[in-house]
Amino acid sequence: MAVRPVAADAGPKPVFKRPSLRERIKSSRTAWLYIAPAALIMLFVTLFPYIYQLFMAFTDYRVRNLRFNLLNPETWARYAPPFVGLDNFVRILTNQLTIENYDFWRLLLFNITWTVANIVFHVALGVLIALVLNSKTVLLRRVYRALFVLPWAMPGYVAALTWRNMYDDRFGAINQLFGVINRLIGTSFPTDTRWFVISEPPIGGLLSFLPLAFYAVLLANIWLGWPFMSVVATGALQSIPKELYEAASIDGASGWQQLRKVTLPLIRPAMVPAIMLGTIWTFNQFSVIYFISQGNPFGRTEILITQAYKLVAEQRLYGVAAAFSIVVFFILLSFTLINNRVTRATEAYDV
Amino acid sequence: MKGYSVELKDLVKVYGGEHGDPRVGAVNGINLGIHPGEFFTLLGPSGCGKTTTLRLVGGFETPTSGEVYIEGQAMSHVPPYNRPVNTVFQNYALFPHLTVAQNVAFGLAIKRVDKKEQERRVQEALEMVRLPDVGKRKPAQLSGGQQQRVALARALINEPSVLLLDEPLGALDLKLRKAMQIELKQLQKEVGITFIYVTHDQEEALTMSDRIAVMAEGSIIQVGDPVGIYEQPATRFVANFIGESNFIEGVLGGTGSDGAVVEVGAERALIRPDAEPWPAGTEVTVCVRPEKLMLYPPATECNGLSGTVREVIYIGTDTEFVVELANGVRAVARLQNIDGRGLGEFAVGDAVRVGWAMWDAHTLED
Repeated sequence: MAVRPVAADAGPKPVFKRPSLRERIKSSRTAWLYIAPAALIMLFVTLFPYIYQLFMAFTDYRVRNLRFNLLNPETWARYAPPFVGLDNFVRILTNQLTIENYDFWRLLLFNITWTVANIVFHVALGVLIALVLNSKTVLLRRVYRALFVLPWAMPGYVAALTWRNMYDDRFGAINQLFGVINRLIGTSFPTDTRWFVISEPPIGGLLSFLPLAFYAVLLANIWLGWPFMSVVATGALQSIPKELYEAASIDGASGWQQLRKVTLPLIRPAMVPAIMLGTIWTFNQFSVIYFISQGNPFGRTEILITQAYKLVAEQRLYGVAAAFSIVVFFILLSFTLINNRVTRATEAYDV
Repeated sequence: MKGYSVELKDLVKVYGGEHGDPRVGAVNGINLGIHPGEFFTLLGPSGCGKTTTLRLVGGFETPTSGEVYIEGQAMSHVPPYNRPVNTVFQNYALFPHLTVAQNVAFGLAIKRVDKKEQERRVQEALEMVRLPDVGKRKPAQLSGGQQQRVALARALINEPSVLLLDEPLGALDLKLRKAMQIELKQLQKEVGITFIYVTHDQEEALTMSDRIAVMAEGSIIQVGDPVGIYEQPATRFVANFIGESNFIEGVLGGTGSDGAVVEVGAERALIRPDAEPWPAGTEVTVCVRPEKLMLYPPATECNGLSGTVREVIYIGTDTEFVVELANGVRAVARLQNIDGRGLGEFAVGDAVRVGWAMWDAHTLED
């Protein structure tokens, strides 16, 4: 491949030289001016805390170190947190934290179980309801669609607190509902279940590490989580051309076959990124766990992010909590990278 | 009913009528017989009901009244997949997540045809549409024309006796469309099945069809072979929709041995006599195609009318002369640019005689 020089005296050098950084900044000066305010704010509000957290994670940062001020040299010697290397990480991973019922690997197992169970229900329910509401024969489907998005539109902690009240053992709606059912059809469901206290697992065997509280918070978070999947699935469903279904039906595909061979493969490119996003949200679903079960009973419904919060709120272990968050970050990062590789989430079909 | 591949009887399709929606007639009573092995085209502007008619044949719509017969069988209660029919869609409707081969094999896979047999027939079908080597690719990796051929292969592999094509070339560019027209026609001859083809492109219809039904507002206006449709359009609509036409109003005089006489103002001219002539004195509209008109110097003795040239438009292959006739009607004469004919001979403002051969002018039904 010979490059023919355009100018007669250009010689063998390539005609287009990449401009130097200085030249490029110069030529885009106005653009820099426009993004400068936003970039500056991002620098202090987002980037700096990240870097500072990274620094904290390698120190034994406690309450007294809060007086440490980077801008005031007088505080440096006295209040600088002692550098401890990887000690925080080692203590987290080898369960050497002075916190009740702490077991990192149990927490991780619970957190993963919590995430998988949620996502399975979110996706199954979301896609199913999107499919039902996509059929033109359903009356009032616009009304339903609007209603079903409400949980998603509501602030998470408001929903969580509402659910907390519904699970109240004496005055909560759920126990009262059982009472109503008992009166109406003569059953004898317990009406004073203490959802977050009972520690015997309702399902034994492999699932015996999950207390009743798990199913209670799971239910609340399913209610909170499926509308998002449903919205994404609805969008994907509506972008499938109806000719594809006609073409499939001419070839004799039944409704079930059309669902399996046309609908599901075609909503997959939209669902995969949504599932990744949903996984990250659910993995770090702070408000549901913190406000509803509060980790009870005995920290068995604690997830990593609520545990990290308690390290700060109860133990004032800022350095350990920072390290904890970094561990969570790397768990989610590796999940995302692996998932992206396996599902090729960025691959879409040209319809 | 016997002998027809597809027959439509008093076919009506009305949309709406529920929840107080206005009722909209898409197809208003169509009667039509299509012969086996025929390349039959439904031609009309958008909204004329041609696609609805096709969908009624395919089984995607149920008729409000009337009946579709395919090979003599009433089809009202037969679902699409049980009709001996397959469809090629305008936007191909290929499954984007399947390879070309999987797309073509879709119907066979649903019917659980043996894998080896599937492979053989897929290869056969792809060879038939001259795409033997693209089986492993995804539809998005093919050009529009190639995708259209894959759609054809997918339809033909199911061995339908009638193939429905809904503007299948609509999305292709002009050159490719022309090439595909010829290829489609050849393919139809090879496989020998009935094609029902929907298009709004009159040239496409004329090029490919054995017969054409011209539709407007849910009804069939005229059915005939391309020559009949073009040379003798029955109505003003057909004459205008297919090609261009001049309409000259006049009063019918007597019919002699050398043609029918039409009186236009003070002048008289000869036109083709109708098979069942209207009585003399009837007001008629005479239709003549622009390319059938000739221009002569004013004093020339010829069949035609007198007028004045108002516009001269050079359009490359032809020159168009807009001539105002004595009764104020503007007629367009299109003369081919051969040997300086017309061009240079007549200029704006010149008095001319507009002449035609008696056979080239006829009366319209409306």
